[in-house]
Amino acid sequence: MTTLHRCMLRLYPKSHREEFGEEMLAVLSESRAGLQTGGVFSRWEWSARETSGLLAGAIREHVREWLGSAQSPIFARGRFGMRSEFRFPRATATLMTIILAAVVLTIEQARAIVTSLQRVNSPVGQIHPMEFTVWPVLLLVPVGACVAGAVGWAVLFLLHRSGVQRLGDFDASAQSS
Amino acid sequence: MESMTEPVLLILLSLAGQPRHGYSILRDTEEMSEGRVRLSTGTLYGALRRLLEGGWIERVKEVDTSRGRQSYRLTSLGRRNLQAEVNRMKQLSRVASVRVARKEA
Repeated sequence: MTTLHRCMLRLYPKSHREEFGEEMLAVLSESRAGLQTGGVFSRWEWSARETSGLLAGAIREHVREWLGSAQSPIFARGRFGMRSEFRFPRATATLMTIILAAVVLTIEQARAIVTSLQRVNSPVGQIHPMEFTVWPVLLLVPVGACVAGAVGWAVLFLLHRSGVQRLGDFDASAQSS
Repeated sequence: MESMTEPVLLILLSLAGQPRHGYSILRDTEEMSEGRVRLSTGTLYGALRRLLEGGWIERVKEVDTSRGRQSYRLTSLGRRNLQAEVNRMKQLSRVASVRVARKEA
């Protein structure tokens, strides 16, 4: 087992580490030992799968500790909880992010060119170096996307809660009538 | 009843036959899905924790704990819920077969 995976187990909440830490280490160790007959690709695939699984698992356990155990993944809920055949493709989300970054980059470059040309044609006639403000914007894009994602999730969560509540009310009234 | 997530369904199916430890569950789920589903250790233990908390599975006391192995088995609640899910899938499959056959005819 790689040192990376051992370190990643430390990302889990303490309660989870105490309960499952040793078992997880044993499973990772056995799983890696089972790869001895495989090629480089299978080892790389295993490592990528375990790394992403541990990272996602650690985040999920922390979120679960913050929000309580009501967030149960036993049942499929919502678009991202559907069966793998019908899941929203991750490639689409990645592509949309790349397109957004490209659009922002293009707008910023166009703005920088316009600023530069205005200075060339100004009465002063002095050419200033271009103001390249792309990197701050590119840093802000992921932060903005995270905030927008969190707001969107909160709205969907509230809608889901209120929808379930309305359905519960509906059932109760149907039974009473 | 809501549908189960695929990892949970496969884990429960794996434990339906006999008690198993973590690595054995990983191997069995991969085999059952013909290599389509390969659970990571993180996913497996996230699901096991919730199933334990829900009382769907329980730990089995083992003689050999030297390698950090811990086996799990279905509880009667877990078996009932698994049976309900299988019935739900059967009903859906029956409807789907009829609809597809009707479309082809």
